[in-house]
Amino acid sequence: MKYLVTALSLFALPALANVPITGTVEAKCVIQTTKDGVYGNPIASKLSTTPADGGVLPVIRFDVSLADSYTANITHPTSFSTSPTLNDTVAWTGSTSVTQTSVAGMSGYEAAKVVVENTTIFDLTLAGSTWFSTASSATYGSSKPFVGGVYTALVQASCIAK
Amino acid sequence: MTPAYPEVKPSHVSGVVKVEMSIFNSREEIEWYQIELFDLNWTNIPFASSYRIINIGYKERKSFDVYIRKSDMDEAVYLCTTSKVRKTSKSRTLVSSRICSRLDGEPA
Repeated sequence: MKYLVTALSLFALPALANVPITGTVEAKCVIQTTKDGVYGNPIASKLSTTPADGGVLPVIRFDVSLADSYTANITHPTSFSTSPTLNDTVAWTGSTSVTQTSVAGMSGYEAAKVVVENTTIFDLTLAGSTWFSTASSATYGSSKPFVGGVYTALVQASCIAK
Repeated sequence: MTPAYPEVKPSHVSGVVKVEMSIFNSREEIEWYQIELFDLNWTNIPFASSYRIINIGYKERKSFDVYIRKSDMDEAVYLCTTSKVRKTSKSRTLVSSRICSRLDGEPA
């Protein structure tokens, strides 16, 4: 009887098979907004995202899956996308910096960045995540106070295959 | 948007080639992306697709085909998707993101 039970239990064993799971990591870039930027209004004629001016710097994260496949091109604003009617000129300044990296070697991105007019170009030579912040400041002509209303401006963050 | 270096394939129309692309929306605040084709100097090049502006939910993936005239392929370099941002009622900066693949690169 004991031998019969043992023999039957052998037949009850489940069928086993190795099922392979395969995958390919292709060159990929993902852009996410980590923090929204907000304009502070430290004096009547100035709007600025700098924390010292009461603003909040926008933070943008770039994730790249393969090294040396993309450049990050970030353009700070030179006009408002929405604003009340303005009758005088607005002087714009801005800059983009690396604020955080997932790989120690990415700290060199800041020193190697290239600035072409309003666009800052970073060569993403390593795989992983990089956080960038963009400062933006607008000063109304002849120190006039900005008209009351909502002001928005666009930061263009591009990830371009090399 | 993937692939970074898409393969250019023949299409069912003579004189027109096809590029198969896929887009994934990782931005919760964005629902719409615009497809654009540029040359090396960022001048627009004509193309055809089921979508010009594509609606994609957060964490959703969509595939689309882009049809380009063979005669334009010598010029076509960057195939890009650009996020469309919504109007807001707060004084702030908005981030428009653009991902560009290269048609003149090595297929990944």
